[in-house]
Amino acid sequence: MSSLRELQAGFRAALLDEAEARVVSEIIDDGLGASARLAVYRHHVFTSLTDALGTTYPVVCRLVDRRFFGWLADRYVRAHPPASPCLFEYGGELAAFLAAFPACAHLPWLADVARLEWAINGAQHAPGATPLLADIWRSLDADGLAALTVQVDRSVTLLESPWPVDAIWRANQAGADGAVDLVAGAVRLEVRRIDDDIVLRALPAGSFALRAALAAGRTLQEAVDRALLAEPALNLAREIRALLDDGMLVLPG
Amino acid sequence: MRPRDCGIGLRAPHVAEVLEHRPVVGWLEVHAENYMGGGTAIRTLERVRAEYPLSVHGVGLSIGSAEGIDTAHLERLARLVERLQPVLVSEHLSWSVTGGAYLNHLLPLPYTDEALAVIADNVARAQDRLGCRLLVENPSGYLRFRGSSMSEPEFLNALARRTGCGLLCDVNNVYVTCANLGGAPAAWLDALDRAAVAEIHLAGHAVNNADGRSILIDDHGSPVADPVWELFAHALGRFGPVPTLIEWDTDLPALGVLLGEAAKARAYVSKAADVVAA
Repeated sequence: MSSLRELQAGFRAALLDEAEARVVSEIIDDGLGASARLAVYRHHVFTSLTDALGTTYPVVCRLVDRRFFGWLADRYVRAHPPASPCLFEYGGELAAFLAAFPACAHLPWLADVARLEWAINGAQHAPGATPLLADIWRSLDADGLAALTVQVDRSVTLLESPWPVDAIWRANQAGADGAVDLVAGAVRLEVRRIDDDIVLRALPAGSFALRAALAAGRTLQEAVDRALLAEPALNLAREIRALLDDGMLVLPG
Repeated sequence: MRPRDCGIGLRAPHVAEVLEHRPVVGWLEVHAENYMGGGTAIRTLERVRAEYPLSVHGVGLSIGSAEGIDTAHLERLARLVERLQPVLVSEHLSWSVTGGAYLNHLLPLPYTDEALAVIADNVARAQDRLGCRLLVENPSGYLRFRGSSMSEPEFLNALARRTGCGLLCDVNNVYVTCANLGGAPAAWLDALDRAAVAEIHLAGHAVNNADGRSILIDDHGSPVADPVWELFAHALGRFGPVPTLIEWDTDLPALGVLLGEAAKARAYVSKAADVVAA
């Protein structure tokens, strides 16, 4: 008999890779064979994880249709089993997986739709935070202000795509007709949770660059430099005011 | 919460209705892992907690893992328990994590001395961190390991003796396991240490066909089956009144259907309590 650790590794291989040889000999074969018994467990693992992926990626699922989604989810689960029992955290590699998945090569925007749905999922489950007030900034001199790194609300994702993924997403919500003008072109999106609502909005190049740099942990000076590079005529005072008014910047913690 | 109180598993689609209408039900139980994010779900659950006794039922701690329980996950569970102050905290006699991968099922253990040592260590560690007694639930079984040297009730009794944990007796799982693996469900219940039983679960199961043989699947997708109600009456005769919960996960019906099942369970518990009193 193998050790418990070996048995569990063998069980995993039997469920995910259909490599049953290591565990079949450990299972009592009474009436129903060991393979049929293992299949009961395997069926639940795959259907429940496919459901979890479908919950996080409903638009991707609708775009490829449910049967195809079931097949690609099966491939995905084998390649990327969950690392955590919290299934709302499962599926973070799906966009990269889709981008490299030959069967989806004819849907070049699909991976970016998945990135958008992952950002929405992240916004739904991110911890709440207390917005930073303008008063705190007044205590800093010019050098202190330039070197400041701020904590951006953790529900925020800034996402850029050559495809109109926000329009694709909206066109595939319940009741929408699915019609999208794909030549609408590139978008720069901010996704976040405000109170209990998920808010998607398109940003101009300068605002996007400023916020993306801050969210990536750049100093205020670096973020401003990038924003001005992206949009030389940017009204900086207004942009920084908007950061505070939007509650984008939060107390660390 | 009193021993006669019956509750329901609270699922996301019913939360708003529970908060709005405050139905009469003894207590509510939630799956811990659904509330470990920082979004609106946990804040809404805190409002539910202010109105009802709450039980936290973990499905992912994997107390049967040979590699030990995941420290980060135990921390998240501990923070949830601190925040919600539940009346009961439970997990399963199973494993789901190996090599860092979470397999999202209550996978079976061989009932051996080695497995008992592993799970007893994991339960002791969890109880230390959580600061409370953990209840451990019998899973539904679809296979048996050749290496097992104990029956499932013997293994559970030994775990309870060794760690001081309580037992959550899922009567539907007893029925499903015995149907799939052989054995008399009443005898299974009679073998369980009655003093350790602190909660009962009831749920529906499906009857599937596997290679021309019927196999029962614990899918929590239908009303409690008649023979499981009979077995529940037997369990109450042996354990006395125990807080009992209706679980329903697949094809979730209207809240009223769950409340009806809980009321039915409550009638069984009252009858058993009257018999004990007489």
